Amino acid sequence: MSGVSISVEGARKSFAGCEALKGVSLEFGAGRMHGIIGPEGSGKTTLLRLILGLLSPTSGAARYFEDGRPVAFESLRPSLAYMPQTQSLYPDLSIQEHLEFFRDLYGIGAADYSRKREELLSITRLGEFVERPAGQLSGGMYKKLALMCALLRSPRVMILDEPTTGVDPISRRELWDLLYRLLDQNILILVTTAYLDEAERCSMVHLLEGGLVVACGEPRALLEREGAGSFDELFLRRAAVRPA
Amino acid sequence: MTFVPARAGAVARKEWFHIRRDPFTLALALVLPLLMVIVYGVAIDFNVKEIHLAVSDLDQSQASRRLIDTFSSSHYFRPRPEASAALATADLSDERARAALIIPPRFEKDLLAGRGAKVQILLDGADNSTVGPISQYVASIQALASRRLAGVDPSPPYQLRTRFLFNPELNSRWFVIPGLTVVIMAILSIFLTALTVAREWENGSMELLLSTPVEPIEIIVGKAAPYAALGILATAFVYVIARGVFGVPFAGHLWVFALGCLLFLVTYLAQGLLISVLTRQQTIAMQFSMLTGMLPSNLLSGFIFPIASMPRLFWYLTMLLPARWFMVISRHAFLEGSGFSELAVPFAALALSCATMVALAARSFRRTLE
Repeated sequence: MSGVSISVEGARKSFAGCEALKGVSLEFGAGRMHGIIGPEGSGKTTLLRLILGLLSPTSGAARYFEDGRPVAFESLRPSLAYMPQTQSLYPDLSIQEHLEFFRDLYGIGAADYSRKREELLSITRLGEFVERPAGQLSGGMYKKLALMCALLRSPRVMILDEPTTGVDPISRRELWDLLYRLLDQNILILVTTAYLDEAERCSMVHLLEGGLVVACGEPRALLEREGAGSFDELFLRRAAVRPA
Repeated sequence: MTFVPARAGAVARKEWFHIRRDPFTLALALVLPLLMVIVYGVAIDFNVKEIHLAVSDLDQSQASRRLIDTFSSSHYFRPRPEASAALATADLSDERARAALIIPPRFEKDLLAGRGAKVQILLDGADNSTVGPISQYVASIQALASRRLAGVDPSPPYQLRTRFLFNPELNSRWFVIPGLTVVIMAILSIFLTALTVAREWENGSMELLLSTPVEPIEIIVGKAAPYAALGILATAFVYVIARGVFGVPFAGHLWVFALGCLLFLVTYLAQGLLISVLTRQQTIAMQFSMLTGMLPSNLLSGFIFPIASMPRLFWYLTMLLPARWFMVISRHAFLEGSGFSELAVPFAALALSCATMVALAARSFRRTLE
């Protein structure tokens, strides 16, 4: 199997007595887009942070593989790109300054940077706003900038935490188009989303509830198995039977 | 763990953008040193001169006039005649005078009769900062007046001749301004760096930063570098003002002073970063930096209040303060021309503080959100 794959085995995570993950085991196969969906507080962000090494699991582990062979997380770190859910850019820095900052952090050469910069500015159509500070960008433009910063060095794993939250429908579609382009480059994409219609855009969906994985599979197959017409319907049905 | 200078440079460059665009940081970095030099160098003078002396001369004799003349010719006192003792006392309470001299009606007669003439001096005990120096002036004027009133100048069996080394005129500015470098560097380094990492946590940018290949040590070095440059600039500014405007002599070696500056700067930058890493919130970081950096460097470093007269517990506490040791280095470098051999203890203490603080800051910075 070529590319990077990630396996999470029995991951538990507690915060001050509250268990956010209660033994999650998942396989994220290479070159696919994995959607992690679930209601608020189901443990989606915690799971991503464990995979990124930003949190240590209370028990269990995340394991990483490159072309089927196990690799250490540290050797994979330079190939990981992350787009956090919260606003994580610098409001006073312009688009241009952000790109230069991440270019230097990732050690991208001048020629590569120049080519990638032009390509990303063209795809995101942010070229005419390069001098504008991030704090003055619209929600959609801000998310595109965050994505550009993540994609600047051609990652092999892309992890996005609710990338389309607070973004208008046109920008949402553009963001998804951007992600689809990445799949062509055999990149593993993990994405959480609050918009359930977006779950159907993923190659695999993992449904989290109360810190547990309750369902997994390809979107259509999963819906058929659960007997639901859409993820909206599935969610509403599960919410109705879930204890308050 | 590897250290990639380009990554540290990227963090430093980004931090410089923040500094340039943040009015609060800019004001603190540029205006504060200027303001402190003006306040401490021009407005505040610990040398008490031109003391208004309310004089009630109820004797109006040659002896009483000679006594008053002894006060006025000292240049420390400016006599202000009053008709009665009550009016002279009222001058004190109304703050028209800081001392009162009351000469009773039979002063000259008692003096000539050898009956031990008495003169009263009243000082404003509520003004603790001036009462000490004034009473010292009064004591020396009394000795001089005694000889003049007796009309003789008997040679004492021995003479105690005092010469003030390093600062012959006891110019308080010579003493205060070299200390200002300590206070200004402490404020710039601790206060500003304490906010910088905390700001990343509050903005949510730390999560993104930690997911990149940048190492904690590169973040620390990159964040500290612009503030170090500001600290060095502020010190150079104070040095130029001290020498050029206030005429403070610099008797020592510039590189001894520069090494002291560097050690002190790194210590306080590391302390600021440590505070920032531990608190993760700007308001708490600000309070901690006030409590552990600014207040001790003002109050317990010997800048204004002498360490030797502090209670034993505080005296020992000052041993832990880098500001105390750098204060010694700065003043000795400026006024006494001391070298490494004379300053071995302050340098050793400062180097130890520096190593401890850098180690603590580096260890406390973790690459996780926990």
